[in-house]
Amino acid sequence: MTTDELEKLLAQQPVAVLHRLARGRVHRHFRAGKRRLIELLLQHSSQNRAGFESDLLTLIGERQANPPSESSRRPGAPPIPHKKVVTKATDSDPSDPPVSLTEWLQGIGVPTPQPFVQDPWQIEALAAVNETDVVISVPTGSGKTYVAIEAARRAMEDNRSVIYTSPLKALSNTKYAEFSKIFGQDKVGILTGDRQENGQAPLLVMTTEILRNLLYDAASGQIDVRLDTLGLVILDESQYLADPERGVVWEETIIFCPSQARLLLLSASIGNPQDIADWLTSIRTTPCRLVRHSKRTVPLRAGYLHPNGRLTPLFRTLGIPQGHPSHLHPEAKHLFIEYEEETLPSGRPRR
Amino acid sequence: MPPSIHPVDLISALRQKHLTPAIVFLTSRRACDEAMEAFDHANFVLPTVRQEAIAKALEQVMAQHPSIAEHPMIPIVQRIGVAAHHAGHLPSWKIAIEELMRQGHLDAVFATTTLAAGVDFPARTVVITQSSIRKSRDFTDLTAGEVQQIAGRAGRRGKDHVGFAVITPSPYIDLSVLTKGLTGQPEAIDSQFTISYPMVLNLLKAHPHEHIQGILAKSFAQFQLNQRAEVLEQKLDVLHSKMEPFGPRVCTDWITQWHTFDHARRHRHTRHPTYRAEPPEIAARLPFLTPGRVVGFNRGRGIVLRQYRSKGQRNSMLTVLRPESAVTECPVTSIREIYDRTYDCPETSAYPWCSTDTFDRLSHQLEELPLRLPLLPILVATDGEPLPDAIVQSLEDFPCPTCPSRSACHKDFLTASRLRQEQHRHTKSIQALRTSLWHRFQERVEVLQKFGYLTLTTQLTAEGEWARLIRIDHSLLITELIRAEAFTGADPSLIAGILASLAHDDDRPGAFPRISPGLSSLLGQVRKLAESLSPYEDPPLLRADVAALVERWVADPTLTWIGLCKLTTMAEGDIYRLLARTLEYLSQVQTLNATHPGLADTAAQAITAIRRGVLEELP
Ligand SMILES: Nc1ncnc2c1ncn2[C@@H]1O[C@H](COP(=O)(O)OP(=O)(O)OP(=O)(O)O)[C@@H](O)[C@H]1O
Ligand SMILES: [Mg+2]
Repeated sequence: MTTDELEKLLAQQPVAVLHRLARGRVHRHFRAGKRRLIELLLQHSSQNRAGFESDLLTLIGERQANPPSESSRRPGAPPIPHKKVVTKATDSDPSDPPVSLTEWLQGIGVPTPQPFVQDPWQIEALAAVNETDVVISVPTGSGKTYVAIEAARRAMEDNRSVIYTSPLKALSNTKYAEFSKIFGQDKVGILTGDRQENGQAPLLVMTTEILRNLLYDAASGQIDVRLDTLGLVILDESQYLADPERGVVWEETIIFCPSQARLLLLSASIGNPQDIADWLTSIRTTPCRLVRHSKRTVPLRAGYLHPNGRLTPLFRTLGIPQGHPSHLHPEAKHLFIEYEEETLPSGRPRR
Repeated sequence: MPPSIHPVDLISALRQKHLTPAIVFLTSRRACDEAMEAFDHANFVLPTVRQEAIAKALEQVMAQHPSIAEHPMIPIVQRIGVAAHHAGHLPSWKIAIEELMRQGHLDAVFATTTLAAGVDFPARTVVITQSSIRKSRDFTDLTAGEVQQIAGRAGRRGKDHVGFAVITPSPYIDLSVLTKGLTGQPEAIDSQFTISYPMVLNLLKAHPHEHIQGILAKSFAQFQLNQRAEVLEQKLDVLHSKMEPFGPRVCTDWITQWHTFDHARRHRHTRHPTYRAEPPEIAARLPFLTPGRVVGFNRGRGIVLRQYRSKGQRNSMLTVLRPESAVTECPVTSIREIYDRTYDCPETSAYPWCSTDTFDRLSHQLEELPLRLPLLPILVATDGEPLPDAIVQSLEDFPCPTCPSRSACHKDFLTASRLRQEQHRHTKSIQALRTSLWHRFQERVEVLQKFGYLTLTTQLTAEGEWARLIRIDHSLLITELIRAEAFTGADPSLIAGILASLAHDDDRPGAFPRISPGLSSLLGQVRKLAESLSPYEDPPLLRADVAALVERWVADPTLTWIGLCKLTTMAEGDIYRLLARTLEYLSQVQTLNATHPGLADTAAQAITAIRRGVLEELP
């Protein structure tokens, strides 16, 4: 496709399709007009034109396969009757009475202290990381740090060195302090863009960019003993792989990670962890193990607080109804409509 | 009804329902600060025991980070047990707030969504007031992944049986973004792989050119491109089976044959009026002189871009692409040969009558033509014969009219040619998917060769050897500045200022401190160079205000942190980050000590000068 053709094709698409394409590509797409959006998309796609085109064609194909009812209707044509009026009954049956506020608020409190017991996924991950690369995709607050610490401990007991990277300097500093407390000052070092301490320690905390640079230097023949004995590389918050500016650094790091070192990727839930694992399997010497689950350890409930101070559950169900965004609590729904009517009398103002 | 709940009412409501500690995510830093101000006159005071506990915890942090001792927010945080936490604060203050929160001394923290990623900072309840987030200059809807990261802070393991995510509306909120985010799947990761100049240099330093394609193939980008290619390959398989009934007939390539025949047949009638005026040997040629056709002149060859009639001309005219991308207009009579070769050339409505991409491709194809090309036999009606006209004769030249499979071809042509077009399209896309990274790499290589960082055999030149150590954004600009000796003899403060103008991560300019003439002229030079490099590297947003700020900090060792903050409207957290990023850039320049000892030394001096006061104490 030539740029002109691509531009023309984009211009023919409804804005909704452009916005879907813009997700993850263009930061400023939300309020951009159609022309500007096309410009930004073209600009961005120069890096990965082929991928962009194929995404576009897929989206167009999808739309042709199941056209959205409104845009496919020609002005004169009779409306297409809606077939899916009745949603299928599920665990959160909308005909059940909605949860009450009292029920919703029940159970608040501090659990009695429990002895520490590893979660099954933690055991699984730790067993696997002895033998192979591991990708962990579990919700926020599940206890990924525990896996990192234990894996690091075992590698160090084996006289192999460990590198832990995080995307943020603040997080690197916190982890440096935390690891120093656990393993002792002399066992832990830190290397970030503006801080170097104890650079020869067996456990090094660094930003991912620094590790990438070390790997490039080593590849070009600079001798680095830290990499020779490297047994484990932990990449925390590895969902940064999708960061528009910095994601490439994670890819470089993974591609050039020495083969004798195990990779341990920690991430909050992501949509395609299996792809990441398959990718690692395809480029590394051992098949990668994926450890994933999406159930939160501490259950989560959602609520709606009206500006007048009134609190109600947000959904009809006690927990969050996975896959059913429209199962709103009638009261929350009512209050929110009222809110919109009062604050936006003449349609939605633009920012 | 107010457009959003008053912060004091919000915290009271949460307290009353035992939903504290809570993190309240607000749209901007300003909103966080204003929320804190809202407590100024509120009758909202913690019991003395809790106030004392906060004071004690703060003292512990102060032992490590003395700079927070004077922090203006301390009294109010102590009084109300609520704090703000955002990127405008110094890291030490943020650390203090995180510590207070972790120890359970605070009821609530007002924060921007930047907190959502990475900082260990959980709470019982998370309050969400927005559905979009400011990125760069605009607001973008939160993704499902982001909504879940934010909501996921609620419910501390071991401290809560259950966590709460409470939505309270503010203007512009789109509730469906949040409900979809809460109930949906997080987005799939999409590779953001780009090929930068330092990447090319470092790869070529470590690996021979012929290995690079294999290395790029290991990227997640290629993995995902391959996934897409596989989908297309499956479609291609389906197309192949659909094409089966349309295999070879009397002629192998009946689709093309029929296409040409059909084309000639259709155009016979419409052309009559114009063609009458032409002598028959010319008229017979016209149907073949379509865009994309290769033709021969007395001298050299060309590709037809357009056929047209012009008032003053007796004969039909052609626009022809000639070697070296020249475009000429000539009458059809100047054509000596018509070759049996055409290229794709979709017509456009303006000069040069095809898209630039097509034009470039055709120019290239014209250069690459083999010396010998088969001629197209064109039958011409002999002079004096009245009718049938020349075209009919040339139609009879086709085997189609008498062919036994004529009716089958006629019937199947549309379907078959559509399928074949689709096949072509998919094959092309697959090829593009498989090779796009490599092409991208080659493009970068060419630029680096042009600038002399790589030899024609893709070895690193002496310049390339050091340039590969500069692995930051705007690397080409920085290495070109070094080569242009822009920094030679410059003071540490000047170099630090220039690097700061590149290193900042914010596009909102602050108030302008006075700028020295030296820095101002050097910035002008940088801007010019950046513009001239813009075909190869996106020019940076050179911020003169931050350059001046950093210059002052480095040049004047007596300047205090407070004094520095007074020079600008930037928040101190932003100044801190700016200096930290400048340090990173300087330390990259410092690695050039083997080849540029003077420059590296100046960078080292700048680094030492930057690290004082708050910057020395941290982290
Ligand atoms: N098996 C366990 N049993 C009880 N508590 C645990 C267990 N594992 C970890 N924890 C606790 O869970 C809390 C959260 O852990 P952690 O910070 O590692 O989460 P995370 O998965 O890294 O989340 P994030 O995505 O926010 O980084 C910690 O306080 C930790 O002590
Ligand atoms: Mg973590």
